[in-house]
Amino acid sequence: MRRLSAVHTLNLLALNLLVVAGAQKIASPVPLGIAVAQTSNTALLGQEQVIGAKFAEQFINGRGGINGTPIKLVFQDTGGDEAGAINAFQTLISKDQVVGIVGPTLSQQAFSADPIADRAKVPVLGPSNTAKGIPQIGEFIARVSAPVAVVAPNAVRQALKIDPKIKKVAVLYAQNDAFSTSETGTFQQTVKDQGLTLATVQKFQTTDNDFTTQVTAVLGENVDLVIISGLANDGGNLTKQLRQLGYKGLIIGGNGMNTSNMFPVCQKFCDGVIIAQAYSPAQPSAANQVFVKAYTAQYKKPPPQFAAQAYTGVQVFVDALRVIDRKKKITEWTLPELRIELNRQILLGKYKTPLGDISFDKDGEVIQKDFYVAQIKMKDAKTGSFVYLK
Amino acid sequence: MEFLQQYGFLMATMLQQGLLGLSLYAPLMAGQLSLASPGFYALGGYIAAVILTNPAFAGWRDALGYGIYPLTWLLGAVVCGLLGVVVGVPALRLRGIYLALATIAFVEILRVLALNLSITGGAVGLFGIPQAFGFVDRWQYLWQFLPLLILTLLFFHQLSRSRTGRAFRAIREDELAADAMGVPPTRYKVLAFVIGAVLAGIVGSMSAPFLNTWNAKQGTFDASIAYLAFVLIGGSRSMWGPLLGGALLTALPEVLRGLADWRLVINGLVLVVASLYLPQGIVGSLGRKPKPPIRPSAPPRDEGPVGPPYTPETL
Amino acid sequence: MDLSSFLQNVLNGLAIGSVYALFALGYTLIFSILGIINFAHGAVFTLGAYFTYTLISGQFENNGLLKGVNLFPNGSPLAGSAWGFALSALVGSVLAGLVAVVIERLAFRPMRSRGADPLLALVSSLGVALVIVNLIQILVGAESYSFPDGIYGDLPGALLFKLGKKTIIIRTVQVIIFGVSMVLLLILGLVIGRTRTGKALRAVAENPGTASLLGISVDRFIVITFFLAGLLGGLAGTLVGSSFGIAGPYFGVTYGLKGLAVIVLGGLGSIPGAVLGGLVIGLAEAFVPADYSAYNQAVAFALLFVILLVRPQGLLGKLQIQKV
Repeated sequence: MRRLSAVHTLNLLALNLLVVAGAQKIASPVPLGIAVAQTSNTALLGQEQVIGAKFAEQFINGRGGINGTPIKLVFQDTGGDEAGAINAFQTLISKDQVVGIVGPTLSQQAFSADPIADRAKVPVLGPSNTAKGIPQIGEFIARVSAPVAVVAPNAVRQALKIDPKIKKVAVLYAQNDAFSTSETGTFQQTVKDQGLTLATVQKFQTTDNDFTTQVTAVLGENVDLVIISGLANDGGNLTKQLRQLGYKGLIIGGNGMNTSNMFPVCQKFCDGVIIAQAYSPAQPSAANQVFVKAYTAQYKKPPPQFAAQAYTGVQVFVDALRVIDRKKKITEWTLPELRIELNRQILLGKYKTPLGDISFDKDGEVIQKDFYVAQIKMKDAKTGSFVYLK
Repeated sequence: MEFLQQYGFLMATMLQQGLLGLSLYAPLMAGQLSLASPGFYALGGYIAAVILTNPAFAGWRDALGYGIYPLTWLLGAVVCGLLGVVVGVPALRLRGIYLALATIAFVEILRVLALNLSITGGAVGLFGIPQAFGFVDRWQYLWQFLPLLILTLLFFHQLSRSRTGRAFRAIREDELAADAMGVPPTRYKVLAFVIGAVLAGIVGSMSAPFLNTWNAKQGTFDASIAYLAFVLIGGSRSMWGPLLGGALLTALPEVLRGLADWRLVINGLVLVVASLYLPQGIVGSLGRKPKPPIRPSAPPRDEGPVGPPYTPETL
Repeated sequence: MDLSSFLQNVLNGLAIGSVYALFALGYTLIFSILGIINFAHGAVFTLGAYFTYTLISGQFENNGLLKGVNLFPNGSPLAGSAWGFALSALVGSVLAGLVAVVIERLAFRPMRSRGADPLLALVSSLGVALVIVNLIQILVGAESYSFPDGIYGDLPGALLFKLGKKTIIIRTVQVIIFGVSMVLLLILGLVIGRTRTGKALRAVAENPGTASLLGISVDRFIVITFFLAGLLGGLAGTLVGSSFGIAGPYFGVTYGLKGLAVIVLGGLGSIPGAVLGGLVIGLAEAFVPADYSAYNQAVAFALLFVILLVRPQGLLGKLQIQKV
């Protein structure tokens, strides 16, 4: 017990020092942290988030920032692992003194690093964490990435609209990906709810390239619909190999495949794949159309979902900061006070973002109304687009 | 204190990785190159994570209070020790690189199992793990890892002076000769392997609350190779080597954080340069007089018709 | 299991396995001559694929220092035909071979001359792999790249075989990969078994000391080994890339682990063993029943574990005499 009370004393000491250290006022430009995977295998997702966030910084500062005070994004690489995410968060919180954090990339990393931010009372917006339980990590944790439960059933309904004769369904998913394993549960439930036969469930890993065995199993069942929950590379390869080996029916790709990164993988075989989207460039709101136009002008292609969600994360922070700034100039706040106020304001506000109108429930779960189902249309081997289905 | 806030996690991670380096060092004391540590580390972490989060153990948690944490360490140690015997007895008939590969296979099989079982939470893993002894900040986990490290070092120190330690060394230098002198190699090799397994298991069970979450990514081939690098870069002939190697190589990417995209490139270069210029490891080259290389410096080439054999002497 | 699904599984297994075999050829070549495991092989494999891509397409996406660069604004002269692909694959593989030579010079030779622990080569090559993979990402980003259409001329995407009422089907590119790995194995066997270079290589492998006394320049033959291994790796990367696309900078590195299982299963240092090991693991994976596909990944390693216990020298490896 003596050791425990020593720990306690040290804790109090740490807390006191923290308060003293935090007494400085907020600097201009206002630092906002971005902690996503810029290295490792996960960088495929992270690099889109970097583009989205950088674009947001440029776009928002071009329009006056926080009522005239510019923002400055501070990037810290999380890599693909848990310790990397904690290190990035710690650096942002203590060294870079950011007002809030957009990140990390993976749900598993969020489960590891978010509690750190929560205990330090730093607001976090998850740009791509979709696993169950993320907003419940703590009061300072929210996300702009909607869990997939809403969008998956729509995709199946759209497929049935295109081909009402669908009876037998094969479901495949990446079992080492947190997002895909939760999404496939929703898909499988929907298949049963719609009275379809779930002929086979096949698993793979996101690092797999060769899907010969899975495709053989699917072809052996003579299914009319294949539902894939995976990411760009594996999902794209699976699509390509299904088509090359003669599968003719419809294919639904989960939200992880909502990226043009898939096009170079399955090329012309991507054509016709139905994709469940949490973001669509076709979303008609003014906020999105301005974003899509500016983004496309700069990057020569429409924004991918990961970029749009990262952009939204930054935008929500800035919108909330603007409201706070109107009450009391941002640069007049001390850091700990502002972080707490910012978290409160984020949960209160309503935001017009590229994802459509969003707000948050009391846990920090995003309330997003618009989800989309699109079908891929390939122009040639490399370029294609997501055509919005209604 | 601000320093602890910022670097506390890194410092605790350095100790944690140093301990894992030591878990590889244990079988190496008896000349056995085992890369099984990530498997036992993952298993220890799962045991702690399950006990600390699964509703089935709610009764235990209520009854024991903070006592539940030492219990998870104990269970991690016991289960990993037992599994160490089960795996070690057949695997330790293998030598050198073959043993290393069999242990890599073991790690990979455990990883796939963890992905597929429901008690381990599949790909998402287990999360919301309660904090050991109500710790709030990461640096407080130094209270866990530092005593463990000191105990481990004391243990290894005593061990190396004991009869068992001498038997380990005898096997490391020449297994056949040791056997001839009445040191039963299999028993001691399994013992050394189990010591490593127990240590990795305890570190794992301490790490689940430390990382807040636990999943199948914790025990991988990449980790096997990383720990091997700790041992080789640190120095494989003294217990200070793996500890130093683990601590330094863990700190390196964080020290290089300012280089942004280039930090892993530099990290890779450091690995190359270190292996070129510190062939005996950091600790090996710190020694005042370079010890005569007890191992042959190049693999003996005259034994097998195809390819040089990896005998225990070369590893 | 009826005959047609049995044959389909065999075909699938050979297709999966030939990728492993192709990867393992260069991996095992270095091991058989130098006795080191070269983790940088996966990175050289990846580089080969990127080199070929650069020659045949030369167009880069939105990330990395080369973002938006298009080397051939009017399209690469090598695109769109099978011979163009063959030529770019050849040049790409030679470049990969040269990179392997540079790696040998910078990361392995100094170690050899210092008489370092051969295990250190593992760490050093791991460092090299880390450098290459991250340089690729810094240059061209983490996204996938694919070769343009038409690299195999007018060949159909898949081949069908009728068997009574059932059909067996296989992707054409998998047949090509299988064929190439067999041909390479044959050529490598001939080079090592029949030529003077091969004899010298074997001498170096068996005893570098004696070899140098016999007037064989050991360093030169080690350079040749690395060049060949890099060439094989680059070609393998290109072919596998033509089947699956180049899945980012970690494309080849992810085969490193499976490749290790393959060369140990076949017998460390045995070149035919590496091919056999690859095919055996491929077949084992193909015959995992669909309901247990989740355990597919564990199959190679369970097999490895068991084989090691029963026959530690691997399928085709020779038993090593223990030193007394």
